Amino acid sequence: MNVSRMTRWGLGVLAALALPLINPNPYQLDVLTTSLLYALLALGLNLIVGLTGVLHLGYAAFFAIGAYTAGWLNIHWHVSFWFGLGPAALIAGLCGVGLGVPALRVRGDYLAIVTLGFGEIVRIAFTNLEQWTGGPNGLLGIEHPRLWIPGMGIVDFGVSSAPYYYLVCVITGLVAVLCVRLSRSRVGRAWIAIREDELAASCSGVPVLHLKLLAQGCGGAIAGVAGAIFAAKQGTITPDSFDVILSVMILSMVVLGGLGSIRGAIIGALILGTLPELLRGFEQYRMLVFGVAMIAVMRLRPQGLFGGFQRRISP
Amino acid sequence: MAGCGKREPVVKIGFAAPLTGDQAPTGQDMLHGAQLAVERANARGPALPGHRLELVALDDQRSPTQAVAAAKKLVADRDVIAVVGHLNSSCTMPASAIYHQARMLNITPVSSNPQISRQGFDTFYRTCATDDLQGPAAALFAVKELPMVRNQSYPMRIFILDDMTTYGRGLANEFEKKARSLGADILGHEGITQGDKDFVPLLTKIKSLTPDLVYFAGMFPEGALLIKQRAEVGLGGFFMGGDGLFDGTLITLATPQAAEGVYLTTIGSDIHAIPSAQEFVNAYEERFGPIGAYSAYAYEATSLAIWAIHQAGQKSRAAVLAAMKGLKDYPGLFGAQNFDEKGDSLIRDIGLFTVKDGTFVFVKTATWD
Amino acid sequence: MTSPPLQLLLQQLINGLTLGAIYALIALGYTMIYGVIQLINFAHGEVFMVGAYAALTLLLAIADLAASAALPWWVALAGCGFGAMLACGGLGLAIERLAYRPIRHAPRLNALITAIGMSFVLQNAVMLFYGATDRHVPSLIPLVRWNLAGVTVTFMQLIIWIASGLLMIGLHVLVMSTKLGMAMRATAQDLKACALLGVPVDRIIATTFMMGSALAAMGGTLFGLHYGTINFHDGYLMGLKAFTAAVLGGIGNIPGAMLGGLVLGLLEGLGAGYLSAQWKNAFAFVILVLLLLCKPTGLLGERVGDRA
Repeated sequence: MNVSRMTRWGLGVLAALALPLINPNPYQLDVLTTSLLYALLALGLNLIVGLTGVLHLGYAAFFAIGAYTAGWLNIHWHVSFWFGLGPAALIAGLCGVGLGVPALRVRGDYLAIVTLGFGEIVRIAFTNLEQWTGGPNGLLGIEHPRLWIPGMGIVDFGVSSAPYYYLVCVITGLVAVLCVRLSRSRVGRAWIAIREDELAASCSGVPVLHLKLLAQGCGGAIAGVAGAIFAAKQGTITPDSFDVILSVMILSMVVLGGLGSIRGAIIGALILGTLPELLRGFEQYRMLVFGVAMIAVMRLRPQGLFGGFQRRISP
Repeated sequence: MAGCGKREPVVKIGFAAPLTGDQAPTGQDMLHGAQLAVERANARGPALPGHRLELVALDDQRSPTQAVAAAKKLVADRDVIAVVGHLNSSCTMPASAIYHQARMLNITPVSSNPQISRQGFDTFYRTCATDDLQGPAAALFAVKELPMVRNQSYPMRIFILDDMTTYGRGLANEFEKKARSLGADILGHEGITQGDKDFVPLLTKIKSLTPDLVYFAGMFPEGALLIKQRAEVGLGGFFMGGDGLFDGTLITLATPQAAEGVYLTTIGSDIHAIPSAQEFVNAYEERFGPIGAYSAYAYEATSLAIWAIHQAGQKSRAAVLAAMKGLKDYPGLFGAQNFDEKGDSLIRDIGLFTVKDGTFVFVKTATWD
Repeated sequence: MTSPPLQLLLQQLINGLTLGAIYALIALGYTMIYGVIQLINFAHGEVFMVGAYAALTLLLAIADLAASAALPWWVALAGCGFGAMLACGGLGLAIERLAYRPIRHAPRLNALITAIGMSFVLQNAVMLFYGATDRHVPSLIPLVRWNLAGVTVTFMQLIIWIASGLLMIGLHVLVMSTKLGMAMRATAQDLKACALLGVPVDRIIATTFMMGSALAAMGGTLFGLHYGTINFHDGYLMGLKAFTAAVLGGIGNIPGAMLGGLVLGLLEGLGAGYLSAQWKNAFAFVILVLLLLCKPTGLLGERVGDRA
């Protein structure tokens, strides 16, 4: 990267880190934190839909799996948040691959429905399997993260806004960098090749199925991490937080930002994440305006904000 | 220089409930109750001298995530020194933690899940009875008294249904526990999904088990369909439910003929049956129309908050909280109001209603042991 | 006299077929639209819901008229039903023209997102206009019940079967034996070739939308009358299940959609009756997933053209 680009990035990072000190409004920080968490999810889904071109409508399921894994481990085995991140990512990632194995045998649109169905099955299962998941009551009493900070001792995140803001900023930032490196690597280029023309890619020797599964696994793992953070932040998780609407929202964020664009996924998430809060004044009309906005964007700027060369989803 | 309408400083009570979405009507009813309380307080004179009292209403769309966001928004507003909310136990639960951290008084009108007050938050109060009272009270009535209606000598055969929500599942479990301990024969306990319309296969199956009673812990839309469809499949016996059924729409949707004889419990007495509350009911109905099932509780909760602000005498959350702790025998709508150390109301009346000739008729105050 | 377990089974079958008939009506719209433009019209479930509300509105409007003029119930039913079909036919046309046609050549993902956005718009528009509470649908059909060997069948159920049956037969005849039907089948097979040959594809697609929406509207009317309550949320779940039914029968395949609807209704009814009510919806999704994995072409085979 050249110097001016690094400077811009550096300033951006500095601004992000300084924000809670300049404007410590906990509500606004919380909204921003939630949007950044959505951005993390959007980055994960971007790997699947944006880079590889696999249409996925059940992404919230992996978010749920990550959240419940971390939450369950914390409540029953007293695994702290930090150690819970790994298992959450691993299990969610494995589920991503596991779902992919049968699902990727079908065509694009059918795959969308299979993933939708899977998402709903997971949600209903979490609601019904009371012994494991607490049923509709969900998991209660998940501990908040605790971190030893030099000079401050052990800080319990509690329900303050700033600690989570920093946590999500850092993790989302790391994952974003990871995604950028990934998209420029051989794997990433192969993914894009699959998206652009699966048949040609396959003929060129790209192991299509394996790479699609890899995308599913990585995307799932990222959602798992986001889920663990969500569980620790909320303290209570219930199945109704992980419905189809959320999957659709994340997908919209990716599409709005432009398929395949890392920057786009983050910005799309920030916009769509803060929009409902900004529209609070409209109360009743919120979702209506959201729907109209979705249609309008698809009509007026179908490639999204930063999308470019994507032509079509693989059949 | 004449003061050209210099605005008074403002002190606010926060209010959070679903104001949009499928529980919007219930949330709106509660909002009206809260608004009435504020209006009447302002008419009587400033609750806090030198300040104007306002109500800030936020929508949580019955989503726990949104409830947390709404809670943080209220906490961030320094003018807000007390909060009335939320409606759903699944929302009140995480939100109460946020109010606790901000040391702000939080009174919920109708969240009945017992777990909320067991978190140990001294900022949390509730003006309704809890499900660990409502369930057992219903069970006691069902197992001990209903058989007498039919001169039945054998134990009641009961099939239990709930709507798979925090509230429904919690209430149903409490009912089942008590019913079993009283010797009832529990034929089954299944869940239904909110939003589902077709319960005919389920009811057909239940019919083949010949229960004496079907108990449903859930909300009135599904309750109405269950009542209507059980008549269609010819499932006899009793039907009983919890406070979620307590809405006039239940009878319309289920049809008065099918709803005849249905029993239900409520988390408080019948507001219409309390003479001292009649004035409130009249004032409400004049201002907003027919009174909702939870409007009175919201009014009560808001009035308590206003009282605490008045007692505190200053615009401080800590002072308001301290004032609330000193509350004793507050003259409320339901009688003298007191709270235990967990914040639960000591008025633990469980009302028992039945449907007769197309309306709810108060039967009695139920006991739970 | 049939034995109780057999009675129960027959009863559950009847329950399932009733629900299945309504699924079939909605599924037809999905399958037809997918057949011509390869779009999963997420908003189709909401069209069904709008149909139910339209029928209710008409019903309330003519309620007084019916009572005073002693209008026979079947006239009122036909009036509301056709009125709803007209309204939704128009809605379908509008949606196609305004939202889908401009992006017909855009990537599939965009069309999907547009459909989802449209679904939000319709749901919330109805909520804002009619309110969020469940609305009661006054009963129109005389409450008649027949008891055959211990199994109950209501008049309403019979009406549902007859109405949906007639419509499905009508559609089949139209698609198989008329010029319009031939054009529809041709467009579904190869849109570009048809366009080149001078078939007015835009009009055909618009007509397909209109017909699919009208069928869904009748489904909505019957749905409202059968259950007696409607809510703006009803479209979502019914829509998903009807889509499952369409895929079950083979997407793009019209008799397939009818069969798929009936089969799904039966499976769901039996599942809820014999297995567990709370897993009922998961059951439907599991069927969908298994089906797509094992036999994605559905029971009767799909009929979608290649999009080269």
